[in-house]
Amino acid sequence: MIDKRIVIDVGDGAAIPDPRDKGLFTAWRISFFGTLGIIAYLLIFKTDPYLDIIKFLPDGIVVTFKVTFASIGLALVLGLIAGLGRISKNTFFNLAASTYIEVVRGIPLLVQLFYIYFALGHLVRVPDMVAAIIAMGFCYGAYMGEVFRAGILSIDDGQTEASLSLGFNRSQAMRYVVLPQAWRTILPPVGNEFIALLKDTSLVSILAVSDILRRGREFASESFLYFETYTMIALVYLVITLILSKILSNVEHRLNHYERR
Amino acid sequence: MNADNPIISIQNVHKFFGTFKALDDVSLTVDAGQKVVVIGPSGSGKSTLLRTINRLETISSGTIVVDGQDINAPSSDINLIRAEVGMVFQSFNLFRHKSVLDNLTLAPIKLKKEPRLEAERRAMELLEKVGMVDKAESYPVQLSGGQQQRVAIARALAMNPKIMLFDEPTSALDPEMIGEVLDVMVTLAREGMTMVVVTHEMGFAREVADSVVFMDEGKIVEIAPPNRFFDHPAHTRTQRFLEQIL
Repeated sequence: MIDKRIVIDVGDGAAIPDPRDKGLFTAWRISFFGTLGIIAYLLIFKTDPYLDIIKFLPDGIVVTFKVTFASIGLALVLGLIAGLGRISKNTFFNLAASTYIEVVRGIPLLVQLFYIYFALGHLVRVPDMVAAIIAMGFCYGAYMGEVFRAGILSIDDGQTEASLSLGFNRSQAMRYVVLPQAWRTILPPVGNEFIALLKDTSLVSILAVSDILRRGREFASESFLYFETYTMIALVYLVITLILSKILSNVEHRLNHYERR
Repeated sequence: MNADNPIISIQNVHKFFGTFKALDDVSLTVDAGQKVVVIGPSGSGKSTLLRTINRLETISSGTIVVDGQDINAPSSDINLIRAEVGMVFQSFNLFRHKSVLDNLTLAPIKLKKEPRLEAERRAMELLEKVGMVDKAESYPVQLSGGQQQRVAIARALAMNPKIMLFDEPTSALDPEMIGEVLDVMVTLAREGMTMVVVTHEMGFAREVADSVVFMDEGKIVEIAPPNRFFDHPAHTRTQRFLEQIL
């Protein structure tokens, strides 16, 4: 039988390196070691002011990761629900999921951030970071919903039919047979979304959340070293996303073990 | 059971796909232990008929009673009925993310709450029976088509079904692998399993079938024991079909 693997390409995140690429010079290595090299150069030969800048950023890195992980967790839950809704035969569930996706995808993320932040502010008083996480998760959940939908639909109907014929009901077939397989198809785009989300968390700096970018802006506004600060911020983001894309590539490779002959 | 109490009773079943009439007033009964082979040209409704028996296809009208239960009645639990009706598909449909052993044990463990060790012991017995013990730890993509289909048969048997349905089980196989799958099916038939088989393998039909059903354009044209069916078909449509394929 032909071993068909469907690749969903929904990418605005960093390119995930292909682990089969064994050459010495890969785009990933050039970017990663190049970036580390530049950071090392700046810290050694231009210690003042770059050492001060980089010492100012770790608190922001922690905040960026907190927002990213919490948002992706929320987005995965919402995405699974939305994705299942989009393929559901239940009209209400299906329409609710489709409407959520349509609405969220039609509004720029920055506008949604402001909107949810201030709308939430009218209803309940929540910490800035929680508001940011809800907004990011809500938005990315819609994109994730489409990824889940495509992943589930990529699994052959025969898998569900075989499950049903053994006596599983539809939700058991989804849980034990379809989703565990769909996960392999879903993982690369989810990884892309994860990295894209990490980058988009820079938007929350506008909501008084002290992420990497906001810490940098604070530093720059006191020291007036705008160019130097944003150079370092760009390099730090790049190192983080490059490391993440490498990790995701390895995880993906391992999960695919059963597909190899 | 006797002829008055068949294990499968299909009465006046109609099935439409849109305006296309896939099944046209089909009636068929199968007694416990009986082997029924369904043949016919493609598009004749034979696979559709088979798939209505475990309700993978719903019917437009008529009744289907399996092991005493009307499978389309709202009061019937279709999942319990399906657990008693094993099915083997043309495209095998093994769970691609599970090893051969886990393919066999998944349903018994999750649905019958069998302890894992007990489920695995029984699974190994079934793999022995289909000659696949040495592949227990393999994944489906590592197996040939014939091997996958033998595992698929074992997987269906792991739920201890009373009836086995086969939907063109050898049609997707390379010719040299058809024999190994048919051998397993013949063994199963000899053990007394109730079987409904949609196939193009006329040799199998002759050897194993208690009755052969010929379908065309959604209708059952002829039902006869294999000797009479192949040597003295009653209908001209059956004669023409047999001339084409033999």
